[in-house]
Amino acid sequence: MIEKLASAQEAARLVRDGDVVGLQAGTTQCTPISMVAELLRSGVTDLHVVLLSGSVALDWLITLERVRRVSFAAVSMEHFGMCRRFRAAVEDGSIEVEELSETAMLARLGAAARGLPFLPTNGMIGTDLLTVRNPALKVIPDPFGGRPVVACAALRPDVALVHAHRADRFGNVAMDPGPRYPMSTLLPRAARRVIVTVERIVDTDELRAAPERTILPGFAVDAVVEAPHGAHPTSLFPVYDYDAAFIQSWVEAAGDAQSARQFVDEHVLRHESHEAYLSQLGATRLEALALGSGR
Amino acid sequence: MSGDAGPRPAATVEHTVDELMVCVIASCLRDGDQVMNGIASFIPVCAIELARRTHAPDLVWIAGGSGVAPDRPRLTGSTFEWPLWQHSVMYVDIAHDLWDWVADEDLLGTFCVGAAQIDAYGNANNSVIGSFDRPKVRLPGTAGLADMSALDKRIIYWVTDHSPRTLVERVDFRSGIGYLDGGGERARLGIGGGPVLVVTNLAVFDFEPGTERMRLLSVHPGVSVDQVLAATGFLPVLPNQIETTAAPTREQVELLRTVIDPDGYRRRGVRQPAP
Repeated sequence: MIEKLASAQEAARLVRDGDVVGLQAGTTQCTPISMVAELLRSGVTDLHVVLLSGSVALDWLITLERVRRVSFAAVSMEHFGMCRRFRAAVEDGSIEVEELSETAMLARLGAAARGLPFLPTNGMIGTDLLTVRNPALKVIPDPFGGRPVVACAALRPDVALVHAHRADRFGNVAMDPGPRYPMSTLLPRAARRVIVTVERIVDTDELRAAPERTILPGFAVDAVVEAPHGAHPTSLFPVYDYDAAFIQSWVEAAGDAQSARQFVDEHVLRHESHEAYLSQLGATRLEALALGSGR
Repeated sequence: MSGDAGPRPAATVEHTVDELMVCVIASCLRDGDQVMNGIASFIPVCAIELARRTHAPDLVWIAGGSGVAPDRPRLTGSTFEWPLWQHSVMYVDIAHDLWDWVADEDLLGTFCVGAAQIDAYGNANNSVIGSFDRPKVRLPGTAGLADMSALDKRIIYWVTDHSPRTLVERVDFRSGIGYLDGGGERARLGIGGGPVLVVTNLAVFDFEPGTERMRLLSVHPGVSVDQVLAATGFLPVLPNQIETTAAPTREQVELLRTVIDPDGYRRRGVRQPAP
């Protein structure tokens, strides 16, 4: 098997200016924050971000003006509210958006994963998502005589960013039992290049002991990066919870461009690495987020 | 089994409007059906749990779209995170399980939906206020609403802040469809189902057969019809008889306060009617 272990800096070089970047992101769940932070440090820009929902990571990229376009089904931090920099950037016209229903996003990525020009969905019929001249969506007749369906053109991200529990140095990636998010299973199959951050790099034998937990084989992964607490401040079930105080402090900073910028400078850019980011947070704070014996 | 909550005793019990909304929605959930909840959805989550514990023990809850039939769901600030679904019988693969179940005409018959705007024909907007390309307000986005609303499903809307801004003649953007322009337009597209009820902090509406326009069904105890009309951005159909929304039972209120939601998350964002 081929070595895939990389530093965050090495992995970040797989993301280039102008790329379409697929991002695993829930409202408060399982976002590869440490990799997004490295992209912020790397200066890569003019990105087209593709996500299903979320999150604080998108808002940080927008804060530093690294985003040209966003394709999404929802952008929200749930009880922490709307992503305020995203909202401001759309309202002032500085980024383009493509809004899709969830099945349309899954169809666009699914078509790319299967090498098809499009996949159909029966969602969105009658909605204004079909009246805003999205060239990737076309209502077509059912060739077998049923109701019309919506053809969703393949969307092939240049790179996928995913966070998971563990991997070996050859890029075989495993997740502990929990809900499976489309952006950690489907997205990597749709994308040209795949970067996975994991809580721990382990011996291959540890994966062999529970192969049913492996979600990606090494041949489908380009770089694997060790990043303990790599989803902070979002959660990683069943390991740690989201950091409510941290997200709340971001929400307060995100009210205007300048204080948002200050927050990202202080919490991300100022640190040269993920390790420095973690040491500023401190072990006590991270331990308090552990789900531990909660299950 | 029927989905009937059974007769309610005449004696009213002291309750708040969030509890009333929860009980109205719970009574619409059918035993033997499956139901999921979205983000920041405390009213539906309480209604689902109340239904499971009263008239609908075989209602299967897919909590946060993540866990099937959770035991001991714990309400926290999120209705999507692990405390709700960690003790489930199955963790869901959203790409491969959830949307296939939704697509099945025999499964997941009812969805509880919240939206920034709902219009007189039951269309819903969670996308933009103003134009799509340069909106006055960018909202979170349609998520799964554009999918489930275009299927043969019953939609129950819940509105925590009934006002002329939330209940409008026509939504700025159709993120999800109700009856489109009414008069059978939805059926002409070959789509069954549609919105059946709108439960707000002031009143309950259904949709008039034929016109498919929203119709005032009942006003909550202590709320007048005039108050409801003043808070509604369009003229709903007014039947000759407008009931008072049936009050919760003592059992329902006690379950909500002591077991299901002792910390009162259901009150979040719900504007209590002015006395």
